Amino acid sequence: MGDTMERHLVMKQIQVKLQNGEHVSALVEKVGTQFWIKAGDQTWAYDIADLSSDGQRRKKSQTATPDMIIAPMPGKITKVFVKDGDLVTKGQALLVMEAMKMEYTLKSDFETKVEKVNIKANDQVTVGALLVKLQKENTELK
Amino acid sequence: MSKISRLAIANRGEVAVRIIKACEELGIETVLLHSEADINSRAYRMANHKICIGPAATAQSYLNIEANVQGALAMGAQAVHPGFGFLSENADFAQACHDAGLIFVGPSPESIRTLGDKVSCKNLAKKAGLPLVPGYEGEDQSVQRLLSEVEKIGLPVIVKAAAGGGGRGMKLIKSMNEAAELIESAQREAKSAFGSEKVFLEKYLDRAKHIEFQIFGDSSGQVVHLFDRECSVQRRHQKIIEEATSPSLNDELRRQMGEVAVTLGTLGQYKGAGTVEFLLQDGKFYLLEVNTRLQVEHPVTEEVLGVDLVKMQILTAMNQFIFSPTDIRIPRGHSIECRIYAENSYMNGVPSTGLLGTVMWPEGPRRRYEYGFEKGDVITSHYDPMIAKAIVWDESRPRAIEKMIRVLKDAVVFGVHTNIPYLIAILSHPEFINGTMTTRFIENNFSEGLKSNHSEEQRKKYSQEVYKRSVAIGDMNSDQSIIQSVSQQNPWAIQWRGI
Repeated sequence: MGDTMERHLVMKQIQVKLQNGEHVSALVEKVGTQFWIKAGDQTWAYDIADLSSDGQRRKKSQTATPDMIIAPMPGKITKVFVKDGDLVTKGQALLVMEAMKMEYTLKSDFETKVEKVNIKANDQVTVGALLVKLQKENTELK
Repeated sequence: MSKISRLAIANRGEVAVRIIKACEELGIETVLLHSEADINSRAYRMANHKICIGPAATAQSYLNIEANVQGALAMGAQAVHPGFGFLSENADFAQACHDAGLIFVGPSPESIRTLGDKVSCKNLAKKAGLPLVPGYEGEDQSVQRLLSEVEKIGLPVIVKAAAGGGGRGMKLIKSMNEAAELIESAQREAKSAFGSEKVFLEKYLDRAKHIEFQIFGDSSGQVVHLFDRECSVQRRHQKIIEEATSPSLNDELRRQMGEVAVTLGTLGQYKGAGTVEFLLQDGKFYLLEVNTRLQVEHPVTEEVLGVDLVKMQILTAMNQFIFSPTDIRIPRGHSIECRIYAENSYMNGVPSTGLLGTVMWPEGPRRRYEYGFEKGDVITSHYDPMIAKAIVWDESRPRAIEKMIRVLKDAVVFGVHTNIPYLIAILSHPEFINGTMTTRFIENNFSEGLKSNHSEEQRKKYSQEVYKRSVAIGDMNSDQSIIQSVSQQNPWAIQWRGI
């Protein structure tokens, strides 16, 4: 456990004078690679890389678009309903994954064609993994 | 009289901690039967003895009857408490404990089979003339047969795991197009969570309240009820907020439902703590199922009645608990429980896993916290996302709601996202405040999840400034007095207030 504890900074109460002159108070703590903040009754976190002044954004956080079906959490793929080249309708189930003992069905947000299926049943996937790539929304289907 | 000096816990998380505390008060040593993944947990640190019974996957550890029995025997326990979920409602497990000479803290295997098996329970209730929801609970489990039964009952229909509970293996069928897919999904979930893929069907009552009665059978065989709880606030059929007593019952309904609960418990020769669940719609109630175990939400009953259900369970297992005929049980005030889930309120409840940072539950009169994980523990995707329960009691329901909102606003959980903002929104909703919510409350009011009312850009800018400040002070080891380190032991920590 000593090992994991070293990944924390001690939680601090901090007061900051913002550029607009406002004084604010927050509880902050570094947990792993994230920086956690609680101000008022709101709690949130950012990757430290996103906050550091170097401004060096890590490439990892590619922004997901509706044509990219991304694993919303780590888990196991239990069922895959589509294959490369299939036509899918809006709301059609693409695959089912299981995490924390619950099943989640991932669906297509629009009518399109499946470009590439990257997973198969029983695969373990990490959060953020690109599971299925669809053709972009405005692509002509006819 | 059977003496228990060492008791094994076939469970994990906050319920394992709850059982350890009851045992500590009774002077009983504990043995934690844990998986490889649960070494960094509060129950592991608290138990007197522990033994690893298998890898993280539940089928090989917490659902493995043989491993649990062997673990308990190897550590010299005389009894096993199954907690809730996992093997708690598994008659074969209760039987295996008996066969190995272990006391199973719960009802007999026969009682579990009669009442816990949802199909057999319905048959018993039918015979006794108790009110039931229309449905299908036949042996033919082919998807084709189930589909035809769905049509017969009429949509909407709910498909449930026969061996289940807790919302897993439960799906709502609203159109025939999705029926086959949902039935298969329920069967898979049932298999994975409970080891049996058997399901049954029930007509879905679309504006019902979920009301349940705590029953308890003492050592002498007497079954009484310990009043009601309302658990209408459910998402994906999983309870989120529970309260005692229900704001929806008048004295007459309460009396009638309590009578049905006791009748059923008596017919099933019930021993220990159990729950009879009902649906209430348009002033009529229907028997739903019996949970032959302790419930997650048992603390709200304990708070309004001043009892300790877990100690009562253990004493009953030792043949040392008998209700006194002169005992008058009257619920007092109002109690609410909120389940704290590791999930992102602003991303439609997606589970959040990872290393826990600081966690602080604000102390105060009649505020109670049941939790299984602390700073430095890791919330994994192997198990249920519930990381804690917050329970409050106050003189009246409105006061209890106010107290709970304050508690949730002051609570600190770093490292994983939680449903706390979601809970606050629910507790502040007029329908909840009026007590008129039904089991579709979440679906009707929060189907879109929560939207953050902060601009992402502003928040990020603010966060960058806070981070810069924090690093500057932290790294330079500055003596600036505006900074104070806050530890979990620091009584001033909770004095902190927001912007």
